[in-house]
Amino acid sequence: MDAAPPIAKRRPKRWRLMPERGTLSLFELALLAICVALVVARPPQYLQDVIIQTFLWAGLALAWNIAGGFAGLISFGHAAFFGLGAYTSTILTVNHGVTPWIGLWIGGALAAVFATLLTLVCARLRGPFFILSTLAAAEVVRIAALNWEKLTGGAEGLAILPTASVANMVFDSKTTYAALMLGYLVIVYAVTKAVEGSRYGYYLFAARDDEDAASAAGVNPLLARTGAMGLSAFLTGIGGSLFAQYFLFLDPTHVLSPELSFQFALLPALGGLGTAIGPVLGSFAITPLSEMLRVYFGGKAAGLHLAIYGGVLVIVMLYFPSGIAGALRRLAQRRRSDAP
Amino acid sequence: MTTVGQLVLSGLLIGGIYALMSIGLTLIFGVLRVVNFAHGEFLMLAMYGAWAMTKYLGLNPYYSVVAIVPAMFLFGVLVHRMIVAPALDKPHLVVVFATMGLSILMQNVALMAMSADLLDVPPMLGGRSFSFGPFYAKPELLIGFAVAVACTLALRFMLQATYLGKAIRATVQDGEAAQLMGVPVPRIFLITFAAGSALVGLSACVMMPLFSVFPTVGLNFVLIAFVIVVLGGMGSIEGALLGGICIGIVQSLSSYYIAPAFGQMFFFMLFLLVMIFRPAGLLGRKGEASIGIND
Repeated sequence: MDAAPPIAKRRPKRWRLMPERGTLSLFELALLAICVALVVARPPQYLQDVIIQTFLWAGLALAWNIAGGFAGLISFGHAAFFGLGAYTSTILTVNHGVTPWIGLWIGGALAAVFATLLTLVCARLRGPFFILSTLAAAEVVRIAALNWEKLTGGAEGLAILPTASVANMVFDSKTTYAALMLGYLVIVYAVTKAVEGSRYGYYLFAARDDEDAASAAGVNPLLARTGAMGLSAFLTGIGGSLFAQYFLFLDPTHVLSPELSFQFALLPALGGLGTAIGPVLGSFAITPLSEMLRVYFGGKAAGLHLAIYGGVLVIVMLYFPSGIAGALRRLAQRRRSDAP
Repeated sequence: MTTVGQLVLSGLLIGGIYALMSIGLTLIFGVLRVVNFAHGEFLMLAMYGAWAMTKYLGLNPYYSVVAIVPAMFLFGVLVHRMIVAPALDKPHLVVVFATMGLSILMQNVALMAMSADLLDVPPMLGGRSFSFGPFYAKPELLIGFAVAVACTLALRFMLQATYLGKAIRATVQDGEAAQLMGVPVPRIFLITFAAGSALVGLSACVMMPLFSVFPTVGLNFVLIAFVIVVLGGMGSIEGALLGGICIGIVQSLSSYYIAPAFGQMFFFMLFLLVMIFRPAGLLGRKGEASIGIND
C-alpha cells in the first residue's frame, strides 16, 4: 500500500489510509464495505442479532461522543434521552396510531429540548458536578416513568404488538433490521464527521480544551456546548425509538437505567474519546464480545462478560487513555515514519 | 403531629446512616479532587464481608468492624496504588472511567461469586423497637446515628488537631506549597483514600443489620451518597452530616405523604436545585463547582 514518497505526495488528499478529521479514509470505507457485506450475507439468526445490536450501539456511542468527546460534556444521563425517544415513539404508535417513522423525529426532538434545557441550567458546572447532575436528571426521568403508569405502563412496561409492516416499522426479517440499524449508524457517523470537520466542531474543541481562550477568541462556550448536547440527545432519542422498534418492549428499569447511561459513555471511552471512528471501534470490539460471552456462558457465569468489560476498561483507561482509535493512529504514524 | 414527629425522627436517624456512608466519598473528593465511582461497590464488598462474618463466625455484625475496617483500609491502599494514583496526573475523565470500570468489575465478580440473592442478617432484639414517649426507633437506627455523629466529630477533631489532619488540610489548600513545606503529598493522598475506604467499611457494618446485601446494592446507595455529598458541599464533612439528615427527612416525609417512589425523585430534584442555585453546596466553599475537567 505504502508507495514511495513522491507518489504519496501526489495521492489526492481525500484518500488517506487512516481516519482523519475532515476527510474520508480508506479505513472507513473498508469498514463500511464490511458492514454492508455483513447485512447482505444474511448470517444465522443469532449472529444477525449481534450485528444489529453492534450497529445500534455504535450509533448511540457516536451520539454520546458528540457531547462527551467533542464538547467535553461527560454525561451519565443519556439513558434519559434514549428513554424519551423510545417512549415517545412507542406511546404515539400504541395509543395514537402514529407511525414510528414520524414518532422517532418527535422523540428525538423532545430529547433534544430536554437536553438543551438541562445543559443551559447546568452549564456552569464542571467535571464531576456536571456528571452527577446528568445522573440525577436521568434518575428523575426514570422514577417519573416508573410511576406515571397511565402513560408508560410503569414497571410492567409497554409492549408494541408485533404486526409486521413497513408503516409500523416492525419487520419479520432480521436483515431488514440490520439494514435499518446500519442506516442509523451511517447517518450518525456522517453527522459526526460533518461536525468534526466544521467550524462549529472547532468551536467545540476550543471550548472543551480551554474555555477562557475560546471565549477570548469569540466562541460562545455556552452556546456551543448546549448545541452539542442537544444534537447528541436528538440522535440518542432516535436511537431509542429504533431500539423500541427492534425489541418491541420497554420498561423503565432497563431503558432508563443508570447502567445504560454508563454503557453509552464507556463504548466511546474504550474506542477513543473525541474521535469519529473511536466510538464505532469501541462498539465493534465490545458489543459482539459481550454478546458472545453471554451466549457462550449463559446462566453459568452471569456477569462474566461485564466483569471482563470492567477490567478491560480499567486497563485501557490507565494505559491507553486514547483508546483503540489512539492505538490505530500511533500504528499509522509508525508506518509513515518507517516508510523509506 | 405525632406522625410528623415520628417521620422526622425516622428520617433523621436514617439520614445519619446515609451521612456515614457518604463521609468517605466526601473526604476523598475534598482531598484528592476525584470522585470515586466505585464507592458503592466498596460498600457492597464490605457489606458482604460483614454478612459473611455474621453467617460463618456467628459474630454480631457490629463486632465485625474489627476486621472489616482494617480490611477495607488495605483494600483502599490497593485500589489507590493500582488505579487512582496512576490516574491522578491524567485528565479528569481517566479517573472517572477507571473507577467506573472498577465498579462494573466488582459488581459482576460479586454476581458470579454470590449470585443475585438478597442476603440479610437477623435483626437485633428480635426486631423490637425502643419507645420514647409516643415515638419509636429501631435500635439499629439509633446505633447507626450515634456512630455517624461520633465519626463526624472524631474526623473533625483529627483534621483540626493532629499533625496528619493539618497535613491533609495543607494539601487541600495548596498541594504544591504543602509539598515544598515537607508534607509528603502522595502519601497523604494514599492515607486519605484508604481512610475513606475504611469509613465505607465502618458504615457497611452499621448498615448490614438494616439493609439486605446484593451485587448491585451499591448503585442504590451511591446515588444517595452523591446527592448528600453535593448537597453538603463536596469535601465538607459536617456538610455530609447535614446533607444526609436533610435527605433522610425529605425521603421519610415525602414517601409517607406523597408516595414511596416519589421520595427518591424528590431528593434528586432537590439535588438539581442545589446544583443550579448553590452549586458549592450548603456548606461548601464558593467556586468549588467550577473546577475544570482538566484541572
